[in-house]
Amino acid sequence: MGKVTLLSGNAAVAYGVKLSRAQVISTYPITPSTTIVEYLAEFVARGELKAEYIHPEGEHSAVAAALAAAAAGARSFTATSSQGLGYAYEIVAQAPAFRAPFLMAIADRTLGWYWSLQSDYSDIMPTRDLGWLQFFAESVQECLDAPMILYKIAENENVLLPVMLSLDGFNLTHSTEPVSIPSQEDVDDFLPSRKMYKHTLDPSVQDTFLDHRLPPNAHTIYRRIFEDTFERSKKVIYEVTREFTERFGRDMYGLIEEYKTDGAEILLLTMGSMTTAAKRAVDALRRENIKAGLIKFRFFRPFPEEEIIEVIEKNGVKAVGVVDRAVSHGSRRGPVAQDVLSTLYKLKDRPSFINFIAGMGGEDISIEDFKTMFKYLNNATTGDKATVSTIFMEKEPVIEKQRFTYKDKMLGGGSYLCPGCGIALFAKYVFSKLGKNTLVVVPPSCYSVGIPRVSGVPNILANFAAPAAFARGYKRAYLIRGSKTRVVVIAGDGCAADIGLQSLSSAAEANEPILWITYDNEAYMNTGIQRSGTTPYAAWTTTTPVGDVWKGKNVFPKDMISIMMAHRIPYIATLSLAFTKDFEEKLQKALDVVDNNVGMAYLHVHAVCPTGWRFDPSKSIEVARLAVLTGVWPLLEIKNGVFNLTFIPPKLRPVKEYLQLQGRFAHMSEDQIKEVQNFVEKRWKSLMELHEKKLW
Amino acid sequence: MGKTQLPEIPVRQLGVVATNPVEHWREFRPVINLERCRKCWICFTYCPEGTIYKSPEGPKIDYAFCKGCGICANECPVKAIEMVREE
Repeated sequence: MGKVTLLSGNAAVAYGVKLSRAQVISTYPITPSTTIVEYLAEFVARGELKAEYIHPEGEHSAVAAALAAAAAGARSFTATSSQGLGYAYEIVAQAPAFRAPFLMAIADRTLGWYWSLQSDYSDIMPTRDLGWLQFFAESVQECLDAPMILYKIAENENVLLPVMLSLDGFNLTHSTEPVSIPSQEDVDDFLPSRKMYKHTLDPSVQDTFLDHRLPPNAHTIYRRIFEDTFERSKKVIYEVTREFTERFGRDMYGLIEEYKTDGAEILLLTMGSMTTAAKRAVDALRRENIKAGLIKFRFFRPFPEEEIIEVIEKNGVKAVGVVDRAVSHGSRRGPVAQDVLSTLYKLKDRPSFINFIAGMGGEDISIEDFKTMFKYLNNATTGDKATVSTIFMEKEPVIEKQRFTYKDKMLGGGSYLCPGCGIALFAKYVFSKLGKNTLVVVPPSCYSVGIPRVSGVPNILANFAAPAAFARGYKRAYLIRGSKTRVVVIAGDGCAADIGLQSLSSAAEANEPILWITYDNEAYMNTGIQRSGTTPYAAWTTTTPVGDVWKGKNVFPKDMISIMMAHRIPYIATLSLAFTKDFEEKLQKALDVVDNNVGMAYLHVHAVCPTGWRFDPSKSIEVARLAVLTGVWPLLEIKNGVFNLTFIPPKLRPVKEYLQLQGRFAHMSEDQIKEVQNFVEKRWKSLMELHEKKLW
Repeated sequence: MGKTQLPEIPVRQLGVVATNPVEHWREFRPVINLERCRKCWICFTYCPEGTIYKSPEGPKIDYAFCKGCGICANECPVKAIEMVREE
């Protein structure tokens, strides 16, 4: 027996993946997809789902690991959005040729373009040509049902392709609807366990494996084979969706859904969550005897060409509209429109065609907007000749009024950071030293959300994996142009220690005269407290939850200072928000190094986080201070190779004093606390051995 | 369709900060007892919002930008700052 409950779209996907008994989950946090994998982490932590869970350093690796797991014979899952999908692009392009079926949920969000978090299809549409099946969910129920259907389709021996489950950011991911959750027994009956194929990679079990070498002149042949596979997949889609519809009593049948197409003279084609509002517009128009109808794409790949033609021919449709939430720039059309237009060419009596560009960057497409579109379509039926046009459904922009305006200010109040946030205090300290001739490079982070809007200097967003490269480009331009502008990177720990480490290392190796400041709040706080490379051992995060199976993070954090020391740059230091004099002196030394073009300076700040570490915001300084006094956060610097501890307490206080202030450590056993105590003491001893030594 | 004209390439003026108050975030308001205050400026130093400023009488708070985190009250060595629930 199943049950009915309230779920968000992201939770529904997680339940669908759990019911599908996914065996390997590999993901990296990015809004708005993140909560999918938080729910899955909870299932694994509690022992409700037996799966391997991988926390890689970025989406490029997250998708790669999911693909590899599928190629090695496991049912695997990953989820991402927007920039994450963009960063993973080359893996996404590589995946189909492995012929390894796996599922990737795409919580759609604008790609690039002034960094909106809101939804449109500019992320998923550029991947339409890469050889993935693409399913677009309309409702939360479809988000839950889709995984089991899509695994069954993808794993069919006539398909064997990766598949994307598209759900609109926020409109679906974060909207809650009542959904029916089928029982595990019923799902197990429907979806058999993952099979091994001849090309599955497991040399200890199989005597064949995937051959990657294509002979010369075979590429065009394989491209055609892929197209034949997509054609075959249509039959499988019909079979599987029919079986699902019959077994579970919910209509998921076919590549498209027809809505009131009988006798339709004007027809609108939609996909995803916008469809529900469009259906209500159709209802309203039908009540006025206007013959409006709708086609919803369930699948965009394979493209439902015959299905669209059949509806148009059968009903004698006079005008067709396509709503695109993406633009193929330079063509003045959206990608869906391009495919539909080429489909219409097959018709003898071609209808008029309008491409509506709407809902970009999460702009609402209301029932009224859809009525307006139908009005345009109605007008297009009147002429003698079929017409083709594109209409941008523009909205009136909302310009926020500011109550206070200050001149000659580097930093103002009113940031969006939480009360008691370490980054806010960090920014106050740093900006008291930075003048107008500073360019700040910021990867996505709490800082990037909170500070740039109240800063008087440019805080320019850099892609998550490449802030060091951005900084190098800016700085080299200033050097060759004789400009005095200083370049400072302000990055969180997720960027510095995980996704941005490669470009940071490259810049450090080249000793670029830039200042890199890591503010370390020990998790991906901006996306909602996910584990990073610097998250402490045993810490609870949303992707290292506490349950019967998991007890917080199971490994000790990455040592960024040792990594930077290995690059032998002129200045490296750790800083604490509670030790202000030490902070100021180190910041000044770092600025001297970069302002005199000596080379790179690296500062690592312990940025306390009341929200993510689970303590009262009034305790921020107390927690920061105790981190130093217990030896958890040693204050040190390495200047031109000379190592110094800049603060040596007479006796280290027990780490328990630091841990017990924070909810993220509340579950820790005495044994775990002892492990941390041992770790800290051992590290302190090795640091004391380095004290006052010249290392290079 | 749109009536508002937007610049093709948006720009901002260097050194200019336009902002809005965040006082509506606050649950508790810090109230300084200047008689007890010894002007050590610890509250001024540690205020994450930079909303405590110096005056000859002692620290003053620009409440427009105070989020009520309570760090000032927690760190004050003479307990001269009290957190009072907002009405």
